[in-house]
Amino acid sequence: MIPTQFDYKAPTTLEEAVALLASDLDGAKVLAGGHSLIPAMKLRLAQPQLLVDIARIKSLSYIREAGDQILIGATTTHYQLESSDLLKTICPLLPACAASIGDVQVRNKGTIGGSIAHSDPAGDWPAAILALDAELVLVGTSGERTVKAENFFVDLLTTDLQPGEILREIRITKPSGRFGQAYQKVPHPASGFAVVGVAVHLVLNDDGSCKSAGIGVTGVDVKAYRAKAVEAALAGSNLDDSAVTTAVTHVCDGIDPNSDLYASGDYRCHLAQVHTRRAIQAAKARVK
Amino acid sequence: MKLEGTHQLEAARERVYQSLVNPEVLQRCIPGCERLERTGENTFAATIRTGVGSIKGVFEGKVQLENLREPEHFRIVVEGKGAPGFLKGSGDLDLAQEENTTKVTYSGDVQVGGTIASVGQRMIQGAAKMMATQFFTCLGAEAETEVGEPPPQHGFFRTALRWFSGWIKGLFKK
Repeated sequence: MIPTQFDYKAPTTLEEAVALLASDLDGAKVLAGGHSLIPAMKLRLAQPQLLVDIARIKSLSYIREAGDQILIGATTTHYQLESSDLLKTICPLLPACAASIGDVQVRNKGTIGGSIAHSDPAGDWPAAILALDAELVLVGTSGERTVKAENFFVDLLTTDLQPGEILREIRITKPSGRFGQAYQKVPHPASGFAVVGVAVHLVLNDDGSCKSAGIGVTGVDVKAYRAKAVEAALAGSNLDDSAVTTAVTHVCDGIDPNSDLYASGDYRCHLAQVHTRRAIQAAKARVK
Repeated sequence: MKLEGTHQLEAARERVYQSLVNPEVLQRCIPGCERLERTGENTFAATIRTGVGSIKGVFEGKVQLENLREPEHFRIVVEGKGAPGFLKGSGDLDLAQEENTTKVTYSGDVQVGGTIASVGQRMIQGAAKMMATQFFTCLGAEAETEVGEPPPQHGFFRTALRWFSGWIKGLFKK
């Protein structure tokens, strides 16, 4: 329960942090809220040589509107997102997702950027940002680049982040028109992690039919994914019970579901179907 | 934990089999394999530094190949331990020729213990799947590039191709 020796640096600017990471590409690791990295270090499953603590970079913690986008700084905590009045009004999926994470201590310290960059197969944020078709801004010594959320998650605990890069910002197009959102989660009774988590962002036409659907699923595969077959089946439908029930049968299409002591792959897929249906229905009921 | 899967490789069965039992190829293809030494006719000692994301560890272990029936079947028995935990298991590999490709079917049973099993239980299967895919992708490339003994004109062509791709790369570096 005691980590191996490591160096600790707490830069106050992003430029400094990027330079520190570049100084030791193999051994340096970014520390944000520390809710995944620190336990792994204490168990000695992770043994970084250098921790670059970005939680003290004040300019990385914000939630703001810019034109038709919502910008979220990487070290914004789950609690800040959960309690944001702005988000509750313009994009309630984000506060709903934040509220489902861990307990209040975790939410006070854990960050959205840390959760996304870690890409835990049962993390909540990946599902939400996939449903919202977010873009991620990554910064490294060679400059900045933007990656779509659906291209960011590569494999188990593996993302498109290259050694030396830091996730700086999450960009979400401000939901507009007649939309409804919901996050449905089956938490593991011990860890609180999602056995299955489903984020839904629905946009309706004036006649009440579905214009588009964004559906992010976590806990089922080795990484969070967009349930594109369900999205396609919903688009254009009238979202009645039979349309939704048929659409959700595709939630595991092309997925080899996780299996562990708590939930077999088949059970996970069953849960995913049930909770995708409930999330779609809840999102539909919230359309104003 | 049961591990099962199939991988389709674009190479003849004999070639794939030879690659699978060739320690040099294995060392290049097992993710993070730093050392693979022959210690007996069909036994090897290995050092593997591997991990997923920030979770990394060094494992020391031995590998034994049994029931070799070239070119269709063998059994692999592994035993390893490292700081994050230990693993012990065995699996059967079957190779089937399908036209110009080879279908490798593997099925095995692995026991994982120690820290990694107690805290990472929900991720072990995903990690195993990920590594198996990396391994077979690499193996596929190895088996494809070493098809038989290349005839001279093939050799010339390939050399020209290598030279050409090197020249292109050089252009982009400037």
